[in-house]
Amino acid sequence: MSAVPLSFEIRHASKAYGGVRALVDADLDLVGGEVHGLIGENGAGKSTLIKLLAGLEAPDRMDARLNGGAIEIGDSAAAYRLGLRFIHQELNIVPALSVAENLFINNPLPRRGGVFVDWRALYRRADEALHSLGIRHINPRLPASSLSAGDAMLVKIASAFIGEADSGEPRIMIMDEPTAALNSAEVALLFDVIDRLRARGDALLYVTHRLDELFRIAQRVTVMRDGRIINSHAIAETSTSELITEMTGRSVADRKAGASVSSGKGSPRLTVRGLRTDAVAHASFSLGPGEILGIAGLVGSGRTELLHALLGIDPLLAGSIELDGRTLPTLSPAKAWQLGIAYVPEERRSQGLFLGDRVSQNITAPHLDRLSWLKTFLKRGEANNLSRHLGEAVRLKSAGIGQRARQLSGGNQQKLLFARAILAQPRLILLDEPTRGVDVGAKYDIYRLIRELAADGASILMVSSELDELIALCDRILLMRKGRAAEDLQAAGLTENQLLERCYAFQ
Amino acid sequence: MRKFSLLLVILLLTVAGVGFAQDAPTVAVMTPFLAQPGTQIMVENFEAAAMEKGWSVNVIDTNEDIAALVSRMEDVALQGLDAIIINVDPTQVEPGLHAAVDAGIPVFGLDSGAHPLLVTNVTSNGYTMAAETATYVVDRLSGAGNVIMFIFEPYPPVQKRGAIARAIFENTPDITIADAITPSFDNGPLEGARNAMEAVLLAHPDAGSIQAVWAAWDDPALGALQAIEDAGRVDEGIVIVGIDATEQARDAIARGSNFEATVAQDFAGMAQKVADLVESHLGGANITQVNHYVPANLVTQADLGE
Amino acid sequence: MKDRESTGPARAAFSPERFLRRYGTLVGFILIVVFFWTQRPGTFMTIPNWVNITRQMSILGVVAFTMTIVMVTGDFDLSIGAMASLVGIVAGTTFQNDGAVGTAVALSLLAGVAGGLLNGVLVAYIGISAFVATLGTLTVFRGLALYISGGASIYGRVIPAEFSSFGRGAIPLGKIGATDLALPNLTILAILALILVFIILNYTIVGRRLYAIGGNMEAARFGGIRINRLRLLSFVISGLGAAVAGLMLFSRLSTAHPTQGEGLMLQAIAAVFLGMTLSEESQPNVGGTLIGVLILGVLANGLTQMQIDTYIQQISTGAIIILAVTLSSLSGQQRHYGRWLRRLLRRLPREGD
Repeated sequence: MSAVPLSFEIRHASKAYGGVRALVDADLDLVGGEVHGLIGENGAGKSTLIKLLAGLEAPDRMDARLNGGAIEIGDSAAAYRLGLRFIHQELNIVPALSVAENLFINNPLPRRGGVFVDWRALYRRADEALHSLGIRHINPRLPASSLSAGDAMLVKIASAFIGEADSGEPRIMIMDEPTAALNSAEVALLFDVIDRLRARGDALLYVTHRLDELFRIAQRVTVMRDGRIINSHAIAETSTSELITEMTGRSVADRKAGASVSSGKGSPRLTVRGLRTDAVAHASFSLGPGEILGIAGLVGSGRTELLHALLGIDPLLAGSIELDGRTLPTLSPAKAWQLGIAYVPEERRSQGLFLGDRVSQNITAPHLDRLSWLKTFLKRGEANNLSRHLGEAVRLKSAGIGQRARQLSGGNQQKLLFARAILAQPRLILLDEPTRGVDVGAKYDIYRLIRELAADGASILMVSSELDELIALCDRILLMRKGRAAEDLQAAGLTENQLLERCYAFQ
Repeated sequence: MRKFSLLLVILLLTVAGVGFAQDAPTVAVMTPFLAQPGTQIMVENFEAAAMEKGWSVNVIDTNEDIAALVSRMEDVALQGLDAIIINVDPTQVEPGLHAAVDAGIPVFGLDSGAHPLLVTNVTSNGYTMAAETATYVVDRLSGAGNVIMFIFEPYPPVQKRGAIARAIFENTPDITIADAITPSFDNGPLEGARNAMEAVLLAHPDAGSIQAVWAAWDDPALGALQAIEDAGRVDEGIVIVGIDATEQARDAIARGSNFEATVAQDFAGMAQKVADLVESHLGGANITQVNHYVPANLVTQADLGE
Repeated sequence: MKDRESTGPARAAFSPERFLRRYGTLVGFILIVVFFWTQRPGTFMTIPNWVNITRQMSILGVVAFTMTIVMVTGDFDLSIGAMASLVGIVAGTTFQNDGAVGTAVALSLLAGVAGGLLNGVLVAYIGISAFVATLGTLTVFRGLALYISGGASIYGRVIPAEFSSFGRGAIPLGKIGATDLALPNLTILAILALILVFIILNYTIVGRRLYAIGGNMEAARFGGIRINRLRLLSFVISGLGAAVAGLMLFSRLSTAHPTQGEGLMLQAIAAVFLGMTLSEESQPNVGGTLIGVLILGVLANGLTQMQIDTYIQQISTGAIIILAVTLSSLSGQQRHYGRWLRRLLRRLPREGD
C-alpha cells in the first residue's frame, strides 16, 4: 500500500439527454481507505454519474483527477486501466458455469497449449482470488447455480479483481446497491469484504437506498437530488432524518406513514376456505372491505403463490374463494380482472410492464374491453384521458402518457402498475412486494396510495418482506409457514422482532 | 443513417457501372432453371452465338421461382428489348408472355414448348429420342425377350417418351413388357428405381428371365444398374438404356457396364438454332413453324471412347 | 436487454439524428427510387411500371401483412409459403373434379384457416416454439401438396377462364395522357389486406393486446389478457393470408405447382424486418412492412431494368436488408453491439499468451 492515500476527484460532471439535464455540475471526492455513500431518489442522477465514471456515456463536461493528475475516461477500457472497478446491482452470474468460470467471465481462462482450459490453474487462481478477500467458504468447483444470492454477489466482487496479478495496488471500487438482493447474514459477509478492501487502501463509492447500511460502513455520504449534489457529510455528523430531508426536499414529519384508516366492517369482501394449490398447502381467511391484510413469511413459504391462486394463475386443487358472497368459478387472470381483482406483481419488469410501450398503453392493458366500441375498436381518446387522470392520481413523474415505460425510474414504474390496478375499480387488490427497489420518496407515495385505496373501500392483500412496512400499514397480518396460512395476527402492537420470531416458529 | 444512405448510393453506383444500354440488339434469356446442367450449356452457347452476331445478352434466372420469372418478364417488357428467349413451360408464364407481346417484343422458346404467343420453339423431339433407345433395345434382343420399363406419367415430356417406347415394344411380337414402373421420388428417383428393381429381380430369380431395362430418363436406369450389380446378375447380359446422357450415365456407359446406351440432346445445337431464328426474325423473315426440332444423338460406349 | 433500459430522463422531442434513425429505411427507399429514376428515366418512373410493381408485389404483400400480425406477438409462421402452394393444389384439384370457382375458393380459404388453427394450437396451447411447430407444418403442407398433386403441376383447360382472368384483370380508371390507367385486381386485393391489417393492429383492442403479448408475454397474462386465444387468432389470420396469396398466385400463373409459393416465406420475413427498422421500439408494424415489400419489389424491378446479373441482384438485395437492420440497431440501442464488439476485440490479443 502506498504511503499517500489514493485520491480521485470529479469536478463539474454534467450530462444532458436531449434537453433534459440528468447531471448538473456534480463534484465528488473519493479517498483511499474510505467508504463513500451516495444516496438519492431514483432519477436523482446517481446512475448517470456512474455511467460517466464507467466510460459508458460521454460527459458533456467532467474534470477528473487521479492522485492529482488530470485523467480522461474515454471508454470502459480506459476506466479499467485507471483502476476503476464496478459492481452492478443485478447478479449477472451464469448459473450453468462453475464459480471459477464465473470469476473469469470477463477474462481469458488460463490455458494449456493455447487451446485447452487449464482447469487446475483455473481453480488455484480462483481460490487465491476468493481467499485474498477473506472468502473461504465458497468452492470454485461448484456450479454457480448452487450459490445463494449473497455468495453470488461475493463472487462478482472477487471477479472484479481477476485478470491482474494482485499487486496490492489500491483500486476505486464502485458498488451500485450491492445488498438489494441479500439477506442480513449475506450482508454481514459483504461488509467484511468491504472492510478488507478499505483496509488495503481502496476507495469505495457505495450507492444504496438503505440508509442504515451507511451508518454501519460508510465514512462519508453524499446526497443527490434532481441531478445535483445537494450536500456531503462526514457520517458522524448527520442523521437519517437529515439525509431523507435532503434527498426528498421535504421534511420527514409530513412523510411518516399515517395510522390505518379503516378496519374490516360489515360482511366480508373475500372469504377463502381450505384453499390448496401445488405450492400452497392450506389457506383459510377472510378480508373485509377497506381492510389491509398483510402476508408475511420467509421466502418460499407460499406468499406469492397464494396471490397467484387468487388471480387464477395457479389452478385450485381444493377449497373455495368467495368474493362478496359469491363463490367464484374456476379463475383465470382475465376473469379475475373482470371481477375487479387487480394485481401488482413482484417483478415489475418481467411480470408487470410492457417496457417498450407507452405509459397509457401500460395503464390500460387489462381494461381494453371497457375502453372499446363494440368490444372491437379502441376508444383512444377516452383511454388517453383516463391514463392522464390516473397518472396524476398516483403522482407519476413522466414526460406524459406517451413516454415509454422503459424510460421511467423504478418508483414511477411501480406507480404505473398502481394506476393500472386503480383503473380496474378494484374490489380486491393483490400487491406483491409493492415497494421493492423503489426510492424513499416513491415509497411514501405508494403507502399513501394503498391507504387511499383502502379508504375507498377496496380490500387489499399485500405480500412484503419489509416487516416494518407490514406492521405500519396493515390491519391484520397473515403469517405463512411452509405453504400454510399458519396465523392471523392483529397488526396493532406487533413489533418487528415478534413478527420475525413467528416467521421462524417451528422451523 | 447518413452512413446508410451513403453506402446505399455507393452500392447502387457500383452496380450501375455494369448496366449501360447499348445500341446493338439486346436479347434477354430468361429461365428459372439456370442451375441445371442442360440449361447452362444452352445459355453459354447462346451467349457465344449472340456475341458472334454482335448482340448484347441479359441472362435472368429466378432460382426455380416461376412467379418471379413472370414478374421479371413484365419488367424487361417495359425496356424495349429486341427479343426474349425463355426456357420454361410457356403455359406457366402466360402473363409474362402477354406483357412482352403487348410491348411488341418477340418471344422465342428454347427447349420450352409450343405456345401461340411464341414466335417459335426450338427443342428436341421427345418421340424420336424414345424411339432411338427403344429400337436399340429391340435390335439388341433380336426382337425377343422380357423388358422392364421405368416411366413417369405426370410430366408430359416424359410421358411422351414412355408412350412411344411402349408402342415400339408392343409392335414387336416376341417382346413382352414384364413391368412398367413409376419410381418413388421420396429419396430421389435413383433410389426409388433401385428399390423397385431389387423387387423385380427377386420376382424373376432365374438367370435370363429379364433381358432389358428401358428407362424414360437416366436416373432410374442408373438405379436399375446398381440393383443388378448388387444382386450379382451382371453376367446375364441385361441391356439397360436411358435418356438425357447425364454425366453419371456417360460414366456408366464408358466403363462397359450393363448400361449400354442413352440419348444426348444437342443443347449447343438448339442454342445456335434459336440464335439463327432470332436473327432471321429480326431480319424480317416470317416464321410459321411452331417447333424446330434439333436431332438428338444416341450415345454408346463406342461414342465415348477416347 | 438490461443495457437498453435507461432510467434517465426522456429524450428531447426532436433531433435530426433521431429523425434519420427512425426513418432511415424510408429515406433509403426514396434514394433507391430516385436512383433508378435517374438511371432509367424513360421506363422506371412511369405509371405502367408502378402498376406493374404493385401487381408483382401484391402476393408477397398479402402474406407479409398477415405475417406482421404473427410477428407482433413475437412469433414466426414459417409455413405460409408451403400453405400458399398447398392452397393452389387444393383449388386446382377442385377444378379437376369439376368444382366451381366458388367451391374452390371456399375450400382453399378453409384449408388456410385449418392450417392456421393447427399452427396456433401447437404454439399457443401445446407450447411448442413457433419456429419448430411451423417448420413441422411447413413440411406437412409441402408433403400434402406433393401427395395430392402427385408431384405434377395443374394447368391448362381444367382451370376456368373466369378464375385465371381475375389474376390478369384490372379495373380501368381512365386515361392519363396517352396511357390507359388500370388498377390490377391483385393490387386491389393487396390494398384491402393492408387496410384490414392496419385497422386490426392500430385501431382495435385486439391489436393492442397482440402488441402487449409481443412486448411481455408474462405481463400480458398476469394483466388479464387471454394470450392463448390471441396467439391462435394470429396464426389463423396468417394461414388465411397465405391461402389468399396462394389463390392469387394460382390465378396469376394459371398454374398450380406443389412448391410454387415457397419463395414467399423468407421474403415476407425480410419485409417485416425491414419494416421494424421504421419503428421507434423495433416493433413490427404494417406500414413499415409495406415499405419493406416495396423495397424488395423496386430493387428487383429496377435492377432487372438495368440488366444487372440476377445473382448480383440477390447479393445486393441481401446486403441492403442487412445494412438497414444493422444500422438501425447500431444507432438505436446506444451502440450496444458496438460496445459488445469492442470488448470482444479487446480480448483477442490477450488470448495468445
